[in-house]
Amino acid sequence: MPVTDAHRTIDAVWKFESARIIAGLTRMVHDVGLAEELAQDALVSALEQWPESGVPDNPGAWLTAVAKRRAIDHIRRSQRLERRHEQLTHELDQPQDPERDDVLRLMFVSCHPVLPTDARVALTLRLLGGLTAEEIARAFLVNEPRIARRIAGAKRTLAEEQVPFELPDESELPGLLSSVLEVIYLIFNEGYSATSGDDLMRPGLCLEALRLGRLLAELAPYEAEVHGLVALMEIQASRSAARTGPTGEPVQLHEQNRGRWDPLLIRRGFTAMLRAREVGGTPGPYVLQAAIAVCHAQARTPEDTDWTQIAALYAALARLLPTPIVQLNRAVALGMAHGPQAGLDLVDSLIDDPALRDYHLLPSVRGDLLARLGRYDEARLEFERAASLARNVAERAFLRRRADELVVTPASDGTPASDGTPVSGVALASGVTLAEAAQDFLGRGDLDPETIRSYGQTLRRLRLTLGDRMPLDSLTADQVARVFATAWGEAAATTWNRHRSAVRSFGAWASLDDLAGGLDRRAETRPRTETISAAQLDVLWSRPGLPLRERTLWRLLHESAAGVTAALSLNVEDLDLEDRRARADGTWVSWRSETARLLPHLVAGRTRGPLFLAERRPGPSRMPAAADLCPQTGRGRLSYARAEYLFKQATKPLDPAGDGYTLRRLKPRD
Amino acid sequence: MRYLMISKDSGAAPDERLYVEMGKFVEELTAAGVLLATGGLEAGGVRVTSSGEEITVTDGPFAEAKEAVAGFALVEVRSKEEAIELTRRFRKIVGDGESVIQQVFGP
Repeated sequence: MPVTDAHRTIDAVWKFESARIIAGLTRMVHDVGLAEELAQDALVSALEQWPESGVPDNPGAWLTAVAKRRAIDHIRRSQRLERRHEQLTHELDQPQDPERDDVLRLMFVSCHPVLPTDARVALTLRLLGGLTAEEIARAFLVNEPRIARRIAGAKRTLAEEQVPFELPDESELPGLLSSVLEVIYLIFNEGYSATSGDDLMRPGLCLEALRLGRLLAELAPYEAEVHGLVALMEIQASRSAARTGPTGEPVQLHEQNRGRWDPLLIRRGFTAMLRAREVGGTPGPYVLQAAIAVCHAQARTPEDTDWTQIAALYAALARLLPTPIVQLNRAVALGMAHGPQAGLDLVDSLIDDPALRDYHLLPSVRGDLLARLGRYDEARLEFERAASLARNVAERAFLRRRADELVVTPASDGTPASDGTPVSGVALASGVTLAEAAQDFLGRGDLDPETIRSYGQTLRRLRLTLGDRMPLDSLTADQVARVFATAWGEAAATTWNRHRSAVRSFGAWASLDDLAGGLDRRAETRPRTETISAAQLDVLWSRPGLPLRERTLWRLLHESAAGVTAALSLNVEDLDLEDRRARADGTWVSWRSETARLLPHLVAGRTRGPLFLAERRPGPSRMPAAADLCPQTGRGRLSYARAEYLFKQATKPLDPAGDGYTLRRLKPRD
Repeated sequence: MRYLMISKDSGAAPDERLYVEMGKFVEELTAAGVLLATGGLEAGGVRVTSSGEEITVTDGPFAEAKEAVAGFALVEVRSKEEAIELTRRFRKIVGDGESVIQQVFGP
């Protein structure tokens, strides 16, 4: 067999088998990063041997056997040979069906919430999809080293955080499962509505997501939301061919040629939906979104669409996920079910939401509703804004065209053109637009480069939000104030004031003197970290079952006002229990009665090494420096990330935003 | 990308072992999200031919039974190599005979 053919075959085999192999190895060595290295070793062996020997009869079994041998070799080489070996023999003797569960475990690990979202995505494509860093990089239009670093960082974090290779118990399951679903849907969406670049779709990513979703549905068939997600993706994917026109421009759902929807995928979507219903329970967000997709798929023509049902489903979804995006979709449904004004009322309540500040679909939806109400001038400006905000080339062109369709050459007497299309008024009549004025203002030659840059930022935001073709003389202080509230309402006072002075300068130049009239100058104070209230701390301290290590660390941080890094760097031998203080990072950390009461229990007879220890011993490939290792227990020093994660988890119920607090906020106000 | 794999009738009667292994294979591919549709086809069938304005409908069976398609699988894969690999596994299970894989365009 020619070498290149063999390599392509090996790649295909690898993509089918790698998840299972890595999952099985992780169960042996308890470290995803190491497991993947060992699996890669097996792949290298295949690349060396198969071109010569031919592809073995059962290539998956061959790779698994080689990888397992490597794992056993590795474990034998590592220090605790005896004990580990016994454990290993024991594990290898276990019945072999955990394989399926292993892949599920691997999914939970690679989507674990300790990892940042983009790392979860990259790691999942890598470990579960068998994609190379290069393939992932190409799909996401970033360079390969960045993806490689992201994956390496994710593996390191998983090892440091000692994320267990286990199926979550009932209390953890909802959180971890929703993280897995989120990652899969993110991958799908990145493929389905490519957020950047020239193509509207990257079908490869959709396929990866569908495969992951279908796999998960087999591994966790008792979860309705899993089937809901699969149904949602199958039905959305069924419209792939119909949602772009000949030149790659988007075709909106109600204008799509339904004959081009893929009936096979629709049927698969319906089947997945039936499975979700069989599982039962209160419908979650994915089941609801799938139900909406089903409504569309069932309509033979756009006019047949049951918008009342869809609006009701969106209302239910908005109760579970009250996000502005869901509300925006609900507005579209309301607009169809109960007329454009109903939709517009809801959209108008979303305009000032900072989360939608740069979201092109807000002005696009608003423009649509305005156009249906006959308010063409406003509609056109909204499409202009939407076009400036769209990051995708095809979508931007489409929005420009929608704006242009609302502009016709005005008849000389200013009456509407004979075909009934509206005459644009303002921008054409009054000359100077916001974009032209901004360019003239910045280009007038007496500004230094730094000022141009700074003013440029302010004006760019105004142009993005209000639209380039906004006529300058219709610009009001009220509009400016709304842009400011959305864009910089939460920003530091210095930022606010900087943009404010830019508007004042621009207003003076353009003879629109009161342009900054709605903007108050803000007092500039140093921002500080809010501390946790005494009442909340009481709740925290009185929580039953709080582990001793956490209780001690948190009390120490609160009583000593020490930095988190300093506290974690404390060693047992540095403690002066008598004087209630210790030397750390060149300063003294001192504490009070509660910490003093807890510390002896935590030290528990240890004489040296890190005060705060990780839960387990580090894996053989992640051995920390001797100074960060407890000589008695062999465990490593507790990491900042892990300590922070645990505190966030513990304080989630206290935090009105539901995010949990950072450890720094334990520091008392002085 | 999608590939349609069609397999020709080998004439050999399927045994118990084949049913079990094929069941396992189909289950595995479905779980992996690869297999979109599959099925076996009746022997013979109906032949519809057109020539000019004329449409002729002929009931089977037909003489050249060995060339008849006996089953199909529609798979969604990343590459031709993946389609070949799946077909290779399929052939390992069913024994001597012939399958053809072709990329599917559309819908």
